[in-house]
Amino acid sequence: MARGRLQAVARNLGCYALLAPTFLMLAVFCFVPFVWAFTTSFYAYEIGGESAFVGLANYGEYLGDPTFLSSFTNLLFLTLFSVFVNVVFPFGVAKLIFSLSSERARYAYRIIFLVPIVVPGVAVLMIWGGLIYGDNGLVNEVLRLVGLGAWTRGWLSAPDTVLWAVACIGFPFAGGINILIYYAGLSSIPESVHEAAQLDGASGLRKFFAIDVPLVLSQIKLLVILTVIGVIQGFQGMFILTRGGPGFASMVPGLWMYFNAFSFQRMGYACAIGVVLFLIILVLTVLNLKYFRSAEDVQAAT
Amino acid sequence: MRRRRDMLLHGVLGFIVFLTMVPFVFVLNNSLRTNMEMYHSFFGLPGSVENLARFTWYRLAGRQDEIRLRRAPPEGAAGAETRAADLPVETIGYAQAMGRLWDDLTCGYRYAWKVLRPYMVNTLLVCVATAIGVVAIGSVSGYVFARYRFPGSRALFVAVLSLMIIPGVLTLVPSFLLVKQLGLLNSYWVLILPYVAGGQVFAIFLFKGFFDGLPEELFESARLDGAGHLALYWHIVLPLSKQVIAVVGVMTILGTWNNFLWPFITNADAQYHVVASGLYLMGQSPASNNFSTMFAAYVLSSVPLLVLFIYATQPFMRGVTSGAFKA
Repeated sequence: MARGRLQAVARNLGCYALLAPTFLMLAVFCFVPFVWAFTTSFYAYEIGGESAFVGLANYGEYLGDPTFLSSFTNLLFLTLFSVFVNVVFPFGVAKLIFSLSSERARYAYRIIFLVPIVVPGVAVLMIWGGLIYGDNGLVNEVLRLVGLGAWTRGWLSAPDTVLWAVACIGFPFAGGINILIYYAGLSSIPESVHEAAQLDGASGLRKFFAIDVPLVLSQIKLLVILTVIGVIQGFQGMFILTRGGPGFASMVPGLWMYFNAFSFQRMGYACAIGVVLFLIILVLTVLNLKYFRSAEDVQAAT
Repeated sequence: MRRRRDMLLHGVLGFIVFLTMVPFVFVLNNSLRTNMEMYHSFFGLPGSVENLARFTWYRLAGRQDEIRLRRAPPEGAAGAETRAADLPVETIGYAQAMGRLWDDLTCGYRYAWKVLRPYMVNTLLVCVATAIGVVAIGSVSGYVFARYRFPGSRALFVAVLSLMIIPGVLTLVPSFLLVKQLGLLNSYWVLILPYVAGGQVFAIFLFKGFFDGLPEELFESARLDGAGHLALYWHIVLPLSKQVIAVVGVMTILGTWNNFLWPFITNADAQYHVVASGLYLMGQSPASNNFSTMFAAYVLSSVPLLVLFIYATQPFMRGVTSGAFKA
């Protein structure tokens, strides 16, 4: 038995050789950092300095970190907000596009909404930071124009508006490939389902919630989990625009990890924060998969 | 009835398009306006365009009289500090005046291009190398996983896929420690190698899905003719997979072009900066005092991807719509 298996391995050496580059690169650049993230989190380590084993002390310290509570509260707000707008807006726009009767117009709109992806993310953030939210930015200028000059403020520098301002970057949240994903879901609904509903006298809105939403549920779930994972990991916006400020008003865990690693040189502590975020993402992914399967079972049963 | 509904839909969609494009329209417009114009009023078209049109009309009409114009402010950061009232007024002819207006109009772009050009070259280099690496390694491995059964083939494929759930936020710091240990900091390799290693995972997934669908007869007849693994891959698989290669290539370039944090922390040496990190540093430098320079830089940094978009839209749309994201 073992001999036969060995022979099979020997016969397929060519296959293993062709896979070698993939596994070599994965081992070095994915697997090693993955393991190091955990091991480093048990040490107090500065680049160039001695590393000392501290056990779970980094994790313990993080629980009592001054940013802990506020950063996770901010993260929760940003996550809920992003999930809401990234489901509602692109889905709504996809449905509007799908409802057009001309195939050419539908194609044209899909392309138009895809165009903004050519602008680099950093440029988008800087455009919003300066041109939209700046002291002499679009929001304030429009407010002055309509006589609401008293409402103007530095949207990113006031503690009570900064989080909303960061969350609203990208309004109306319609650019990008999300629309294409929803559109693909909508176009895979068989025409006959809508016709049957038509015969039963269902109204437009009723059809939307009774047919479109349940049948596009797998796309919605995919985008929800992608959005959640993206927000938990994403601190680029805060890094470029607010640096977590004013105070800790827009601090998020990822940004605090970055500061600890690259500003305060506390590599072990930063890795511990990374591990905490990873565990959160892992739990959410597993929950999603579980929920995902049970939803399909329900569909199969009915 | 149908027409009225379409009109309504066009109206709503048009408004959403308008809201989506507003920031970019203002960027384009303001990249052609001087600081003085911006201070004067936020809304407004570039003054030099208006004057250019007027002077062109005067010239075509054969007018010979001379005009008085303020001397142009010095280029770059110093220009932003200069007040209009400090500049001397001169009397010059139309040709000279138009040249000066043209300079005003393009000053942001000329200065931004001077700063961005080396970053652009770096980014293009890294993008092309990464895309080639991802397509080459990803397609070979995807091909092996799709067309061969051997001990451990299933387990190895699952192992590759399971790496997809490792989030970047977990590995950011240890990856930095790793490339520092390897002595890769401040080079192109510190960007290309990790990008290829990470990007190939999704590429293998896409390639395998596509190669699974190829009919077995193609391979059988070639195998009977004595073709080896690589010959099959090179002569049969690759020519059939242009579309999926386009999707993988475009997505890789898009991701690479947009990546900011990794290049920012690994390449402290300005020589190796890419567009994303370069834009950020530009925003921190005195160059950003000149508004038009920054706006022009945003425009310039979008042009390469716009060109790619124009060429790759169709296969990309088809790829995204069919399959890859059907969850």
